[in-house]
Amino acid sequence: MKPLFFTWEYPPYKAGGIAAHCEDLATTLADQGHEPVVITYGEEEEIEVRDGVEIHRVPSSNSADNTLSWAMHLGHQMEKKAIELSKNRSFDLIHAHDWMAVPGATGVKKTLGIPMVFTVHSTQKGRDGINSEYQETIHNLEWYGTYEAEEIITVGREFSEEVKHNYDVPEEKVNYIPNGVDLEKFDNHTNNLNYSDYAMDWEQIVLFVGRMYPQKGPGHLIEAMPEILEEKPQAKFVMCGSGATEHYKGIAKEVAGDKVHFPGYVSDQELLSLMKSAEMTVAPSVYEPFGIVPLEAAACQTATVGSYTGGMKDTIVHEYTGLHTYPGDHNSIKNQVTRALEDPGWTDWMGDNARERVEDNFRWEQITAWTTGIYQNALDS
Amino acid sequence: MRIAFLVKNFADGDDLSEYVKSLAEYVVEKGHDPLVVSFDDGSDCTVSEEVEIERFQLHFDGDSLYTWAMMMNNEMKGRVMEKMENEEIDLIHANDWTTAPGGVTLSKHLEKPLFLTIHSTENMRGFQGQNSGLISEMEWQGCFEADQVFANNEDVKNSLLFDLDMPDEKACVADPLHEGWQEKVLNCYREILDKRIEVEV
Repeated sequence: MKPLFFTWEYPPYKAGGIAAHCEDLATTLADQGHEPVVITYGEEEEIEVRDGVEIHRVPSSNSADNTLSWAMHLGHQMEKKAIELSKNRSFDLIHAHDWMAVPGATGVKKTLGIPMVFTVHSTQKGRDGINSEYQETIHNLEWYGTYEAEEIITVGREFSEEVKHNYDVPEEKVNYIPNGVDLEKFDNHTNNLNYSDYAMDWEQIVLFVGRMYPQKGPGHLIEAMPEILEEKPQAKFVMCGSGATEHYKGIAKEVAGDKVHFPGYVSDQELLSLMKSAEMTVAPSVYEPFGIVPLEAAACQTATVGSYTGGMKDTIVHEYTGLHTYPGDHNSIKNQVTRALEDPGWTDWMGDNARERVEDNFRWEQITAWTTGIYQNALDS
Repeated sequence: MRIAFLVKNFADGDDLSEYVKSLAEYVVEKGHDPLVVSFDDGSDCTVSEEVEIERFQLHFDGDSLYTWAMMMNNEMKGRVMEKMENEEIDLIHANDWTTAPGGVTLSKHLEKPLFLTIHSTENMRGFQGQNSGLISEMEWQGCFEADQVFANNEDVKNSLLFDLDMPDEKACVADPLHEGWQEKVLNCYREILDKRIEVEV
């Protein structure tokens, strides 16, 4: 099959989980003999072939008033690139990832007359609500994408219900396919962490990875820190991620002092080392359609303490691969982190189970096979 | 000639609509076959029966004219492509930045000439509204991709040449307030189509 991917982010450019998702899916599709082409954002126009995937980058505009109009402009540029490429090849379908790809993808669908598959990675309503005309427009774009798409993919089981409900989508159009992890990437990585850059020998790293926004819940973990430290002074909190870092750093330093560390930019390799060395990762999100962190941690044989919400209901099995907490409840976070620190042997056992579960259920080879099944449905419809 | 006119909406008394209506009726008189594709805002539009009108609904509310127009253009592309299933279109005539994205995409995909009428530029309007920078870029892009750009008057032409850096030979003033402007437009269509045929031969 020859799917055309529309995504605003693709590695090395990445802001959230969409970039890694698209790269892993496209690469595995190519491994399985398909011919995916990716059109995405770049500072300038360029083409690259990486791991069997043809990647075209197109710039957007510096004159946009906001992300919404920026995405609209980018969509038009991506669409023009798709039309240009369609002159000497054919695409079977267009696969749009999240609302920012909807304007361009629907333009291509209507011009080239090919089916559209739309992966909804999260919703405006869930991210930060619909409280302004701007947010309403993004919500409308998401609706429009689900309306125009022949098939919709959601990354979480519970999230599928949210998508059906929010956009009034017919049951049979929505397909749940989880995210996956590229285990080879984790297995080929060598842990070169200089532990003393982050913690003392006797300290146990409690790792947060994610954008520093309320949705990801760093504030709830920070609120739990003093009580955790009271019971477990060996805890050392390492907070990795971009976003409102300075804001959260200021609050965390006040409540936990030197027992919390914000390392700033951390390379992918270093992050894997941190995940492998940490006692546990903590994912205190209040809204998480899927949540890749528990899976990545699992690939590193590290257990996750994560909120019982969205995709984490599926990716964490309580007391088997990690521990669940009540979303937005710092007492619950404190209790479960303390439990995990109390018994490192048990926590390691959960980490081993997590790895085994990822091997059995979240491999890209399997996820890609499911995805091509959805592609076939879109073509048949 | 089968001409696809792209216009934001088609309503009696609206400047752009009256321009397209007048031109479409003129080309019918001269034996050609116009198709007007526009968003259906519910307004009445009285036009000769021989002008084919394709109006469509849009299930999308934008937060600004810019976001709305970008999605409206997608629907427009779909309508023109549906028409193309049964008949050839010889050229596309877009009007202002609001239909430039659709005109550009369709022209590239169908490999048909693109004509664009600019009724005023963002530079002339003073960059007052939301997304004025992007609107101006869209005007630039439309002019860059078009085979011929019609300016409504000398002021617009000057803005195209000096603000949008458009080459002089691409601009044609066709002032709807002066008699014979439709003939001028029709002659430009013929000229560009003849040139294309020459190149193909």
